[in-house]
Order: sequence, then structure tokens, then C-alpha cells
Amino acid sequence: MNNMETYPIQVGSVTRRVPLHEPFPGVRIPLVDFLGDVEFVKAVAKELSPKVPAGVDVFVTAETSSIPLTHELASAHELNYIVARKRRRPYMENPIIQEVESLTLGAVEVLWLDHRYVERILNKNVALVMDVVASGGTMRALERMVQRAGGKVVARLAGFHQGNSSEGLISVGELPQL
Amino acid sequence: MKSYPIEIGGVKRELPVVQVGDGVSVALLNLLGDTELTEAVAEVMAQRMPEEVEVLVTPEVKAVPLAHAISRITGLPYIVARKTAKPYMISPVTREVLSITTGKPQLLVLDGADIARIKGKKVAIVDDVVSTGSTLKGLRELIESVGGDVAAVMAVFTEGTPRDDVIALGHLPLFSQKGE
Repeated sequence: MNNMETYPIQVGSVTRRVPLHEPFPGVRIPLVDFLGDVEFVKAVAKELSPKVPAGVDVFVTAETSSIPLTHELASAHELNYIVARKRRRPYMENPIIQEVESLTLGAVEVLWLDHRYVERILNKNVALVMDVVASGGTMRALERMVQRAGGKVVARLAGFHQGNSSEGLISVGELPQL
Repeated sequence: MKSYPIEIGGVKRELPVVQVGDGVSVALLNLLGDTELTEAVAEVMAQRMPEEVEVLVTPEVKAVPLAHAISRITGLPYIVARKTAKPYMISPVTREVLSITTGKPQLLVLDGADIARIKGKKVAIVDDVVSTGSTLKGLRELIESVGGDVAAVMAVFTEGTPRDDVIALGHLPLFSQKGE
């Protein structure tokens, strides 16, 4: 059985004792789950929201765990958002296909953006949103995808970041390696 | 492009009609990214939520923001049934369903940590569109297999054949012509 050791994370007035996940032997990281925790997502969105630069037209994220945070941020700014999918959907036409370069994982992940969303990114100021940025690979893939769609990335927002993945990143807190 | 008009809670949209199979087209509802429509739907669904419901369960992906918004409004917790087991899950429980839109078998996965939040509880399944009901059937079986009681199924739309086992805000037809 797992040893249910936990790590405390505080955002605003909300505290969560989150489980530790061991992706590699000897490396443990706090496991933050934004899915299903409205109070926590609201607290993170409240901290991030004032850091969204003026002039953002649309938010862009990747499925799935970052969706509630992106929804809250977009709602607060009365803007819409676009979700890059991890699998091709049957209704997609001429999708932009963007590989995620991963330094640690063998499996190649791909992001799919339906062409009908390209016109909502073209010549627009885009803020990228993720719940947790670890290696930064997905964030870089989102940025490249937005550039290919003709948009301009004006902010990279994250709930949390790990390690030195924080280049140009606005985040609410850092998750330590334990 | 052909489109199909809808209105929910005063919010109007023209849904694109897209071909998904041989000669079959559907009106494509996408709550992902549409904050105004998602919030309007959530308001109406929250009002129609049966009082006995204690927890919401939603299948990944498209209904996630809707479940989040309903949860914010009602205070009811929500749980996401994932499409893949994650390495961090503890004793996950899975069910295979056949997706009609992709034609491929698809998994529904509950994290063991979430099972205690479902067991012995009155559950409302929240989804965007219930069409053939294959996802719904699999999700219902999954919830019941861990001891939950499905008290309500709530969807924005039913599609194809109208059904009375779903609390829906509207109905979408199937289009037999090519959607151009």
C-alpha cells in the first residue's frame, strides 16, 4: 500500500494536504489535482487573475486537468478560451498538429487544434494557461501551436511550477522535489 | 456552413453541423472554451438538480467545465471519470465502453481515492450530449459497481432518439444529409 504522506499547499486562505507522487525512484513531488476541487481552483484563479496582462484576447490551454482553472480565469475576464486536444476528434478539419517534446518520457504526445479555432487565434493576444508546469514541454508546444495559428503569446500562466521550468512563467507557487 | 440554432438561459448559439460518420451529421456542441454558454447552462442545470443528489460525476473531457460550474453554484462536489488510468491513481476501477463517435473502445476510470466519495451516495451524472447512451451506460455501471446510486442523469442535450431517463435542457436532431 502507498504510504499516504502528504504535503501542505496554501493558496490564499485555502490549504490542501496533497499526496506525494513518486514518478521516478527517489523523486517525490506533491500531486496537485485541479479536477473536482472548485474551492482550490477559485483560490488559484484569484491569485493569477490580477497577473493577466491587459490586452489579452483569448486563453489557450491543453486538456484535461487545466480546464477548470482556465474556465475560471476566462470567466473572470469575460473572455473565452480554446482547448488543444490530445487526440484527434472526428469532426476536426485541417487541424494544426503539434508534437510535445518531452525530455523525460519516451511516449510522444501530440496536441490537436481544430482549424475552426485558428481564426480565433489569428492576430490575437494569447495567454497560455496550465495547472502545473513541470518540464515545460507542453507549454512550449502550446506556444508553438499558437504561433503557427498566427497568434501572439503575451503571457504564460500556471498554477504551479516545478524546478527551473519558470522562464517567463507567471505562477502562484512552486512545487518542490522532496 | 450549415448550422443549428440553440438557446439556453438567454444565450444563443449557432452550432456547426459537422459530419461524423457515413452520411450522418451532428450539431456540434462544444462547451470547452465557451464560458458564457457554460455558465448559462450551469445555472439552469443547478436549478433542475434533484434535491437528493450528493455528488456529481462527469466523463472526461467536454463536460468538465460544466461540472465545475455546477459544483461552484450548488456546492456539490464533482468527480471526473478519466479516459486513462494515471500513474498516480490508487487502485483505479475501470470500465470499457464503445464510443460511437470514434468507433473505438474507450476506457472510463475512477481513481480509488474518489470511490469513497461515491459509495453509498446519490449521484448525478453530468454530461454535455447523450446520444446513443453508450458512455452513459458504461458510466452508470461503473458508478454502481463501486456502490454509488445514480439518482439522476443530467445533460445539456439528448440527441437522435428522445429519452425520458435523462434530464435534458433540449434535444438535438441527427442530420442525414452531409453538413455543407
